[in-house]
Amino acid sequence: MQMVRFVLGLVMTVVCLGLAGRRLMFLYRLGRTGQPVEPGRTSDTGAAVRAELAEVAGQRKLLRWTVPGVAHFMVFWGFMVLLFTVVEAFGALVWPSFQIPVVGNWPWFGFVEDLFAIMCVLALAIFVVIRIKDAPKNLGRRSRFFGSHLGPAWFVLFMIFNVVWTLLAFRGASINAQEVGPSGKMRFLEGAFASQWFAKLFEPLGQHTNEILETVLLLLSLAVLLVFTVFVTYSKHLHIFLSIPNVAYARRPRALGGLLPVYSNGKKVDFEDPGDDDLMGVGKIEDFTWKGLLDFGTCTECGRCQSQCPAWNTGKPLSPKILMMTLRDHALAKAPYLLATKGEDGEPTTALTDADKAEAQRPLVGPEGDETASVDEHGARGVGAVPFDMLWSCTTCGACVEQCPVDIEHVDHIVDMRRHQVLMEAAFPEEAGVMLNNLEHAGDPWGRGASARMEWAAPLDFEVRQFGANGEETIPDDVEYLYWVGCAGALDDTAMRTARAVATLLHEAGVEFMVLGEAEACTGDPARRMGHEFLFQMLAMQNVETLNTAGAKRIVVTCAHCFNTLANEYPQVGGHYEVVHHTTLLARLVAEGKIAPVHRVDAATTYHDPCYLGRHNRIFTAPRELLAAIPGLRVTEMERTKEKSFCCGAGGARMWMDENLGTRINLNRTDEALGTKPDVVTAACPFCITMLSDGVSQRQLEGTAAETVQVADVAEILLRSVKPEDVPTPVS
Amino acid sequence: MKIVVLVKYVPEPTATWKFAPDLTLDRGAVEGRLSELDEYAVEQAARLQEAGTASEVVFLTVGPAKAVDGLRKALAIGGDSAVHVTDAAMHGSDALATSLVLAKALEKTGFDLVLTGMASTDAEMSVVPSMVADRLGINQATFAGALSVEGGTVSIKRDSEGAVLEVSTALPAIVSITDTNPEARYPAFKAIMASKKKPVTTYSLADLGVDASSVGLAAAAVKVTSVTPTPARTAGTIVPDEGEGGAQLAEFLSSRGFV
Repeated sequence: MQMVRFVLGLVMTVVCLGLAGRRLMFLYRLGRTGQPVEPGRTSDTGAAVRAELAEVAGQRKLLRWTVPGVAHFMVFWGFMVLLFTVVEAFGALVWPSFQIPVVGNWPWFGFVEDLFAIMCVLALAIFVVIRIKDAPKNLGRRSRFFGSHLGPAWFVLFMIFNVVWTLLAFRGASINAQEVGPSGKMRFLEGAFASQWFAKLFEPLGQHTNEILETVLLLLSLAVLLVFTVFVTYSKHLHIFLSIPNVAYARRPRALGGLLPVYSNGKKVDFEDPGDDDLMGVGKIEDFTWKGLLDFGTCTECGRCQSQCPAWNTGKPLSPKILMMTLRDHALAKAPYLLATKGEDGEPTTALTDADKAEAQRPLVGPEGDETASVDEHGARGVGAVPFDMLWSCTTCGACVEQCPVDIEHVDHIVDMRRHQVLMEAAFPEEAGVMLNNLEHAGDPWGRGASARMEWAAPLDFEVRQFGANGEETIPDDVEYLYWVGCAGALDDTAMRTARAVATLLHEAGVEFMVLGEAEACTGDPARRMGHEFLFQMLAMQNVETLNTAGAKRIVVTCAHCFNTLANEYPQVGGHYEVVHHTTLLARLVAEGKIAPVHRVDAATTYHDPCYLGRHNRIFTAPRELLAAIPGLRVTEMERTKEKSFCCGAGGARMWMDENLGTRINLNRTDEALGTKPDVVTAACPFCITMLSDGVSQRQLEGTAAETVQVADVAEILLRSVKPEDVPTPVS
Repeated sequence: MKIVVLVKYVPEPTATWKFAPDLTLDRGAVEGRLSELDEYAVEQAARLQEAGTASEVVFLTVGPAKAVDGLRKALAIGGDSAVHVTDAAMHGSDALATSLVLAKALEKTGFDLVLTGMASTDAEMSVVPSMVADRLGINQATFAGALSVEGGTVSIKRDSEGAVLEVSTALPAIVSITDTNPEARYPAFKAIMASKKKPVTTYSLADLGVDASSVGLAAAAVKVTSVTPTPARTAGTIVPDEGEGGAQLAEFLSSRGFV
């Protein structure tokens, strides 16, 4: 019998590991068809190890959702410990009385093994409840599992259950069948409580039957484990292998903040003189880097991204999860072409089926206005793998990246695909062309031109120093900060109020500052997030030249988008400055007593975290400190706040595009803000304020918001407390 | 069919314009661009070429050295090549001189159809197409809201108050295109890079056989004697409606002679 079980076990193992190995080799080769990653991504071993400890071992991001997080923690560590029982099972295949050296028959070892096995089962029960409660058939699009593969997910739970009970049952039979081991003690006798339950159950069957049972259960548990392994390599459950490299090679500290420049073949593209073969963004699935392809393979379809996505939550055709699944499906469908041996002309030398050829020809992104482009796996194929509207619905708010437990870089992939669409195909929502033309010709999104850039300062009762106005060629030494007003602050009526409030507060605090005036131009944020890297580079290089020539060192910014670009992206084009957001500077000045908010502001307020200030740049506390410093002000937080803040709808150049799919993002957020019963809704970014003001105005028009509700920057509320006489009558 | 599109490199409309001591616009002090109104003509030419109606499209401009940027922009939208007439003696030329030089350049390039915008965004005179037609002795059809070419005939729809005129004329002809035509496409970066490889020929006045004394500031028919900036716009009058709003509004309008 020993021989039979050894041979059977060996055959099963060889066949299943062979199948799984072949699949993994195929996936590896497919991943290798991707582009190289940018330099430096794989070289920071320290950061990779820290990330593995925090995110894989510590399950940091999963634990943000307490119940599913704890359940996953239990399954993860359950499986880690179960690996010892798997070692024991394979050992028993070769040598019936095998035990792990030294610790193998310590009672606490058996106890820990069984404890984690039972924890696994408990976690499975939690997962079952979650999957029933949150089933798409109950919740529809509100379910985070909407669009995920549900059958395979249930099968995974079922298989994990089988793995656990067969291992425990085998151990139970093994206790009964066990002869005295090498140390003279019997295994599992003490400590292994769950195995002993099975031992008790099987005991009446007698020694001989238990010996047979032990063999049967051993083979069964190995079969279950091996079949599960093979299944995993063919399923969305690949994350149990792939999340380890995916976390190790993720962009650090996170794939938010500044975008990466355009890389082709691992080298930065020089837009002044690009190479003929340079890739401009991602136009084909194989234009993604291998890390991109790894992302698609690692996605576990958990839907945490989807649950937070402003596009998905307002009925738009974008879910970051479904996008990852779509790209994975397309990569797998295109694999026969990608992996075929290519001749000198780059065409496959082996015959491909018509379906494979069709997939190879299929564009990555559906053409503009093409409603037939589809993601479904059942119906007829659309033209592009990714529908046009899916790509353009993204606000780049980063909620998906923030949530993803395995560090998938959704926003980077979306921008890379947009880059190809804009740079190579000139295909983008038509209405955004006005903004691009305005940036190119007037240097601002509205097309007002440089001559209008000082109008905002005219009503102030003190002089705002303008660089170059008195013939200075560099910023004088007495100037502490260059105030980057931004296009909105200079040209948009509402944002001008913020610009004046900040200028007045700095003036009150005795901070010497200067503005660039006509020499300032758009930082290029909307162009870059639309994918127009060429225009971004032009604007960035122009601004960096202006700033470097002026000798700018410290810059204060009122716009969250300008802040992000100046602080995180200008270093890529040679602009290195100490960039501070106005809320940070003002909070410091209040703390130092240079600004005294002494007048009561009797109002209820809530604070909306701008994505590019909060999630992208981790500035959560400064604006809140300012609000807390204002006497009389009562702050109520919204449900979706800080890292989980919900976008206003303006990011990713969506400010300049029509929003005619689904419901409006700004109204979704406005309603949440109005739910706190505020007198004034505050934010710290001009675009958020525009979107929220529009939302509040609409609700006032509809009669669902009080006429008195206002929307204002944090700085303006601070000014009310510092110099109430300087605050103009608010417009809501 | 060969189309030549006349394009102008104009000072950026949103920029602050400065004037040189000779009271001409200081082109060195202001960014320039391809006139937005000419972009409609460029787009029409590109479309006629894509439809197979035009076999060759050439862009022609008269302007300072930087005007080549305007030609590059046009070439990014479409067309095959460009001609740039530039000569220091052209400085300060009026529409008459410009039309003379354009006519001479058109004789050199050859054409079946000449397209232009409805006006330049700087001088806004709209007279150059007619002047060129006159100098070359060819037909003209101006302010085309739409155009089509069939056989040797170009037909346009000309929007006027209360009626749409349909005008047809035999080639060779010159047609000016209005801003009711489709807007110029947004050129992809790929097209911008490709445009840099398209040939641009530069001519001087001597190359075209134009006497330098017949162009330039000295030969201009109109002398500019002074330049003053437009007074800044003052805040308007706000009439709060307290039951008398309508009457006050009427009074305001009649006091200013509007009604």
